[in-house]
Amino acid sequence: MKKIKIEIAGMHCASCASNVERSLKKIPAVKNANVSILLNTGRVECEDNITEEELVKAVKRAGYNVRKITYD
Amino acid sequence: MEHKHTEHMHHEQKEEHHIEELEDQHHHESPVEDWEMKDWKRKLVGAWFFAIPVAVLMLIERLLMIEILPMKTMTIVLLAISFPVVFIFGFSTIKGGVRGLFTFYFNMDSLIALGTIVAYLTGVFSLFFEIQDYSGVSAMIMAFYITGKYVEVKARGRASQEIKKLLKLGAKRARILRGKEEVLVNIEEVVLGDVIIVKPGEKIPTDGIVIKGESSVNESMITGESLPVEKKKGSNVTGATINQDGILYIKATKIGKDTFLSHIIQLVEETQSSKVPIQILADKITRVFVPSVLVLALLTFGGWFYFTQNLSKAISVSISVLVIACPCALGLATPTALMVGSGMGAKRGILIRKGEAIQTMRQVKFVVFDKTGTITKGMPEVTDVYPNSISSSILEIAASVENLSEHPIAKAIVDKYGKRKLKSVKSFKILRGRGVEGKIGSKRIVIGNRTLMNEEKISIEKFEKIIEGFEKDGKTTMIVTENKKVIGVIAVADTVKEDSVKAISALNFQGYKTIMITGDNENTAQAIARQVGISETIANVLPEDKAKKIKELQKKGMVCFVGDGINDAPALKQSNVGIAMGTGTDIAIESGDIVLARGSLRGVVAAINLSKATFKKIKQNLFWAFAYNVVAIPLAVAGVLHPIIAEIAMALSSITVVTNANLLRKKRI
Repeated sequence: MKKIKIEIAGMHCASCASNVERSLKKIPAVKNANVSILLNTGRVECEDNITEEELVKAVKRAGYNVRKITYD
Repeated sequence: MEHKHTEHMHHEQKEEHHIEELEDQHHHESPVEDWEMKDWKRKLVGAWFFAIPVAVLMLIERLLMIEILPMKTMTIVLLAISFPVVFIFGFSTIKGGVRGLFTFYFNMDSLIALGTIVAYLTGVFSLFFEIQDYSGVSAMIMAFYITGKYVEVKARGRASQEIKKLLKLGAKRARILRGKEEVLVNIEEVVLGDVIIVKPGEKIPTDGIVIKGESSVNESMITGESLPVEKKKGSNVTGATINQDGILYIKATKIGKDTFLSHIIQLVEETQSSKVPIQILADKITRVFVPSVLVLALLTFGGWFYFTQNLSKAISVSISVLVIACPCALGLATPTALMVGSGMGAKRGILIRKGEAIQTMRQVKFVVFDKTGTITKGMPEVTDVYPNSISSSILEIAASVENLSEHPIAKAIVDKYGKRKLKSVKSFKILRGRGVEGKIGSKRIVIGNRTLMNEEKISIEKFEKIIEGFEKDGKTTMIVTENKKVIGVIAVADTVKEDSVKAISALNFQGYKTIMITGDNENTAQAIARQVGISETIANVLPEDKAKKIKELQKKGMVCFVGDGINDAPALKQSNVGIAMGTGTDIAIESGDIVLARGSLRGVVAAINLSKATFKKIKQNLFWAFAYNVVAIPLAVAGVLHPIIAEIAMALSSITVVTNANLLRKKRI
């Protein structure tokens, strides 16, 4: 298990945040995802084998962009 | 004179410059919000530049019924002026919204995009068919939507201002000593053990220990304590606090992610991603909100067209439905209030770790305090040694044995004895929660409390009066025995924290039942409890049994436990709301739903009040958000709201929620 913080650009409403959450949770390796519209960040708990591309793709799928990914 | 003055000025400027050099911010990394704000402002100005003429034309034409242009010409003019509002300044909204309609990731934009595009198209069609032209309406909806977003983004920025300040609090550079040279390096380059030089007025770059120099340090940004703290050789200092008057030489003991500030930031960010249980319903609704509204708008259109045969009216009503629905108010209700609340807390050294805690806090009946280190300072001192005449030999024996223990009471006894020579001790054993034993020569020494004496079947009859006397004064007594015979008694007392009395009386006044839990016996416990105004004590509790006692109490009501995060972790976890007291330099992250940066009991009262106030705001916000949608959507379906009015109402609803959250700051904690 690892914890990842994703900074997201382009979210501007509450349903945006829940869209990103939904999209991130579709990645099989993701156990839990929480997106905060106020901090423009998502926090993801996932298995170790996850790749950054998967995360970026999931955020893009919902219509937003990734600014930065950091590992806890 | 003149010359001197300029020289002085010059000097001052130089000084300022050199501080700036240290504080230099990374300008290229401007936060998303700043950019977002500018972008919305640009859109706002642009949109209204065209939307105002649209409004004027519509007013003259439709409301005052004055025909200044032939109908078709008027429509073409409106289409032309509305175009930039909807499709240029509203481009990102239209793009995001339409994209959402195809990818099934609907958001707010999908509703607005659909509403404005349909409205705009009625204008185009009206040139060829018999249909009401709503192109002007499309421009007005977009202009109001952009205005609403602009105000909302601004208010949202205000909601997180304290947290953002915290994120930026860390120093960017440090002046370190390399050999004999001072070098200015980026904070990332500082390694453990580096000697950092901090001049007056500068920020202390990272956590460390003072190795040279004396100064007072302003720690208010981290602990909320406004009085400066004196630092000298051997003192711990915290990164991001400000050195005030002397030069300090500091050895870095913690860097990067391990610093006190990093821990605080991590806590605060985690709060935002934790959920308050009350918001679960709102979150569920937010998730299905937009698609539901799309379906509802379609049904509304069908219904109105079927019953009235009036295409124009059906279109107008369904546009109202699309633009009035507001998932934002629902979705923002909880996070903004939580953000403002946790920001207010962080400023005062109160870190709400779990959103759930603020909801649970409302139902708490019992506030249980650990004694040592929570109500008292946790630094016990020997006050009495009995019998006095041969006191030194008793103290010598006790200190020799206790020297092998880490317990605060053991330390107090050793400190009292001083740096004199100790006797050698064999077969030392710690008897957890009771005392210690060991052998000096052939004599078996047992030192401990009443429980231990009972276990060892040692009679304390002769010393009973003395022991009781100490206990009634709130002193912890250590009975010293040699070969099963009492030879003396040492009394240890821990001073009560200055603000304990005030804090506990505030809690009693608010109707909480305050309880103290301790390993001391009943007499000692009650004496301390009386000193601070606590009515009930749970005494004789072994450290490992604290959680069990909390569990028992929970049968009678919800329990808030206050203790230090290290020894009391199980009790903190067991309680409904665990408040962990920090020691000022270390922070117990893992235990405690609420963490206090410093060990003041006033923080407990503030944390309780803040939790309650924040939760009240959340409830208010959720009520407004639900009420708004429950009232507004049916009104729109019923066709009594013009689309422009609907859009204004929508914008106002989310602004109201965010503004209301910001009003939490007015509350005195």
